[in-house]
Amino acid sequence: MKVAASMNRIDVNEVSKPEPDPVLVVERVSMKFNLGEQSVTAVDDVSFSVRPGEVFTVIGPSGCGKSTLFNIIGGLLGHYEGEVRIDGSKIAGSHESIGMVFQEESTFPWRNVIDNVAFPLELKGMGKSERLDRARHFIDMVGLSGFERHMPAQLSGGMRQRVAIARTLAYEPRILLMDEPFAALDEQTKLLLGEKVMEIQQRLKQTTLLITHNLSEAVQLSDRILIMTYRPGRVKRILDIKLDRPRTADVVGSEAFGRYVAEIWADLREEATRGMSDAESARR
Amino acid sequence: MAYAKIGVEARSGLLATDRAKVMAIRIAIIVVMLALWEGASHSGLFFKDVIPSIATLAAALVRLLSGSPFYANLLVTAGEIAAAMAIGSVFGIAVGLLLGANPFLARTYEPYIYYFGPTPKIIFFSVLIMLYGVGPGSKIAMGAISCFFPIALSTLAGMREINPVLIRVGKSFSARPRHMVFKILMPAMRVPMITGIRLGLGVAIIGTLLAETKLSNKGLGYMVIQSYNRFDMPTMYALIIVVVSIAVLLNVLIERWSRSNSSDNLGSLA
Repeated sequence: MKVAASMNRIDVNEVSKPEPDPVLVVERVSMKFNLGEQSVTAVDDVSFSVRPGEVFTVIGPSGCGKSTLFNIIGGLLGHYEGEVRIDGSKIAGSHESIGMVFQEESTFPWRNVIDNVAFPLELKGMGKSERLDRARHFIDMVGLSGFERHMPAQLSGGMRQRVAIARTLAYEPRILLMDEPFAALDEQTKLLLGEKVMEIQQRLKQTTLLITHNLSEAVQLSDRILIMTYRPGRVKRILDIKLDRPRTADVVGSEAFGRYVAEIWADLREEATRGMSDAESARR
Repeated sequence: MAYAKIGVEARSGLLATDRAKVMAIRIAIIVVMLALWEGASHSGLFFKDVIPSIATLAAALVRLLSGSPFYANLLVTAGEIAAAMAIGSVFGIAVGLLLGANPFLARTYEPYIYYFGPTPKIIFFSVLIMLYGVGPGSKIAMGAISCFFPIALSTLAGMREINPVLIRVGKSFSARPRHMVFKILMPAMRVPMITGIRLGLGVAIIGTLLAETKLSNKGLGYMVIQSYNRFDMPTMYALIIVVVSIAVLLNVLIERWSRSNSSDNLGSLA
């Protein structure tokens, strides 16, 4: 395993054609948690870099340390080994270049849609009329025009997640960091919202780092996919997805799509199986 | 089938005809009560004045509301309740925030607050009289002790109800501590806090009035007990009507206020 992982790392660095400097570099990041007397390695020696304008996805089975990685990059977790760099400089703590979208329900229930989206601008001290204008722009982008004055409780789960995405876009981060953003949604909503997010991503040339366990979501959205191993979470492989852009939700019906899903599943199956047997033995 | 309209189902609105029926029954209850009262007062079964006629009551009410002593005493009681609420809220919110932020303190002190909260505080009134005298001081102390507990417990519950992902959202946008407190933590817990203030006001009113009826020299409770001592039943009833009306009105106002602040809870019903 160790050999395979380090060979992959060479693969990543061996790309011969000249490429733009990466926006985000994750270098040899490891994270251990102490659970009572045991120490569990959640993330082990993970390195990768994200190029400007691409959608880079980290996929892995439950328990592979994806969310730990998300929190480390987003600056919500400290005390890890290794480095996270943005435009070449090391970051610690939350950083204005990174905008996060969470898997859980995260809109502020006491603010209406427009005040939710304007929230990060309010923190920056932007004047009211200017920030509402900006917020309107991003509400329109996620297709929620006309719902500015609605409270989150009056919206569906998919609409609320669009509000959360618009709020993070309004922050205008260099890197959009999303952790299972569609996890709480039904399959159809997931596909259509994925299509919407990709349309926006292409329009803004938004560098995006997506964390997911969903195979078809990963293939639908990504330029490159990093497959993680199950506990400890290491880099198993990084795969290029050469599907045409712009992609619509219809891409899931194509033959190439199926081949990619099968290829990733072949890698993931082994990891997920290990995860499942771990979970079963923990219940004995 | 009879169970079909229980729980969440029962919250769905009534038809307009049903709503009219509900209103009619509510009014009928009042009319029937008044009729029974009037009948009892003329029946000769009770001592004169124990149940005065409605006309006598109305006259007493007018007399009460047109004299100045009532307003002076109302002002005293209102001031006592306001001071009690101010003191009880400051301490209650401070203790609730402290325990909510520190699990160790919560573990240690919460049982005391939790189990001491519902005990009758009027039992300490004699001690409060010794400490603060017969005047408003002991009434304020009584009200403050009464409202401290529900406010502290609700604030603590509010701290625990804050959705942790909202704190992570704040951090991800690099929110400064004051933004964290005023734009995320406080609004996130305002619904339980309003509930705490509502419950607190209720028990503060009870505590203050009860103390006034026990031993005092001013206030509405004092007026009630004075008229009782003079066996001036019409005035006593008039005072009871006024006090109950004020309490109901206050509850309605707070209910309105809390509902306008919790409109986001619609989602939990849908």
